[in-house]
Amino acid sequence: MNKAISKRLTFAVAILSLLIFIILWQVIAQQGLLVKNFPGSFKTIGSLIWWVSDPFFDNGPNDLGIGTNLLISLRRVLIGYSLAVLVAIPLGVLMGMSKLAQSSLNPYVQLLKPVSPLAWLPVGLFVFRNSEITGIFVIFITSIWPTLINTAFGVASINPDYLRVSKSLGASKSITIRRVILPAIMPNILAGMRISMGTAWLVIVAAEMLLGTGIGYFIWNEWNNLSLENIFVAIIIIGFTGFILDQFFGFLQDKFDYSI
Amino acid sequence: MNKKSTKISSSNKNYSHLELVNLGKIFFKEKKFLDFRSKGIKGGFEAIKDINLKIEKNKFVSIIGPSGCGKSTLLNLIAGLQAPTSGNIIIEGKAIKGPGPDRGVIFQNYALMPWLTTIQNIEFALNTVFPAKTKADVKERARKYLSMVGLEKASNKFPKELSGGMKQRVAIARALSINPNMLLMDEPFGALDALTRSYLQDELLSIWRKNKVTVVLITHSIEEALLLSDKIVLMSSGPSAIISEEISVDLERPRDRQKIEQDPNYLKIKLRLEKHLLRETRAVEEVT
Repeated sequence: MNKAISKRLTFAVAILSLLIFIILWQVIAQQGLLVKNFPGSFKTIGSLIWWVSDPFFDNGPNDLGIGTNLLISLRRVLIGYSLAVLVAIPLGVLMGMSKLAQSSLNPYVQLLKPVSPLAWLPVGLFVFRNSEITGIFVIFITSIWPTLINTAFGVASINPDYLRVSKSLGASKSITIRRVILPAIMPNILAGMRISMGTAWLVIVAAEMLLGTGIGYFIWNEWNNLSLENIFVAIIIIGFTGFILDQFFGFLQDKFDYSI
Repeated sequence: MNKKSTKISSSNKNYSHLELVNLGKIFFKEKKFLDFRSKGIKGGFEAIKDINLKIEKNKFVSIIGPSGCGKSTLLNLIAGLQAPTSGNIIIEGKAIKGPGPDRGVIFQNYALMPWLTTIQNIEFALNTVFPAKTKADVKERARKYLSMVGLEKASNKFPKELSGGMKQRVAIARALSINPNMLLMDEPFGALDALTRSYLQDELLSIWRKNKVTVVLITHSIEEALLLSDKIVLMSSGPSAIISEEISVDLERPRDRQKIEQDPNYLKIKLRLEKHLLRETRAVEEVT
């Protein structure tokens, strides 16, 4: 089949399926088939348009525009995430290169990695006495593991030919790290960063329900207002933002894909 | 042995470039990364033992043996990439302590950095070995060696855009760019098709003639060894592989790959090599 036609067809199918979904949702909600007062798709879309048409208003912490809340969440994620990446990459390289670093750090990594980062929330509140810093701290803890483990694994499983070339030329450790190891493990680092970002974006919503402000708090607040359609609006916005973030890393991964 | 090596360091023109003295290598298995369950095995695997060999300057020497006999280990030791468990590697009268730019290494899988273009791969070698050289100097020298292997037009291509033969030519250019006096090649043409292989063999011969270098070539191809070498070193099957024989190849150069096959001397050596390899391979296959 022609590529352009096939692309158009895929698009048409997606639109059609969306229309069917919206109609089914509306019918089910209107007939009260699920529960009473469940918001229909028309109401939700109406809310979505209302929120999106004026996203950045600020009437105090319990009445912020959805864009404002989104930016607050994004800011927390980006700060916590960037700090985590700045720690995880050097630490991962160290763990991948040095047996000593690996055996001394690995027990902590293995023990802490399976813990939900939300468990750190009370610890953060106790130590920092500040919900903003606690949010960033939780995101930091969330983001560090996938990037750290992927980086360390990348270094440990680097194609030995590259290291042999570097060694045979008598390259110093610093040159080998900067000019051979780091570029060679870029795909691993980016894969780790992508998972870190995905998890951070999942966790921020839950964390913010307990912290005040941000898109997670918005959901909690709308639950207190019993406004389910606004929660759906938030879900759509969160999903869309997460998708964009993920696509960004997908784009970077393609750029650094060395495979033949 | 020791007496001889002291004599060698005099100003004799044909002194040993490389001398291996009682060389042995035992591998000890290491634990894998992040793996709690695998246990390192006790004892080790002895790849090669009691290797004694002398290679004269500017000679072309092939090392041939059944697969898994430790040929590559031997080359890695000479390159200084691994440390021997016992014995010494002496280059121009001095025991080596590690790798050095006096030896250019060429690997079977080309070992080009996929994130660098062809010319950047060569520049990486030059920048590492000659940190004092200016950018323009490095670029010019990299270009010179790329054109030596006929790839000046591919200088801005990435390795994945090149054929296997082209990649290996870049690797040869990279190894020669640092101006080594010894070229160590680990089955460099093993992954190439027959036509490309013959082309690169001829290329290598002409490069060897023009640049004064000693070549140590690991191969499993009898024909390749015969076509290229002054001397062929036969290794026994591993583990604990030893050198079973050294054969001088006194065929006239330049050698023509068609004519050489009718040379009775060629056929004699070939038969001898085939017998040896068959015997050693049988030893490997029937043990396992």
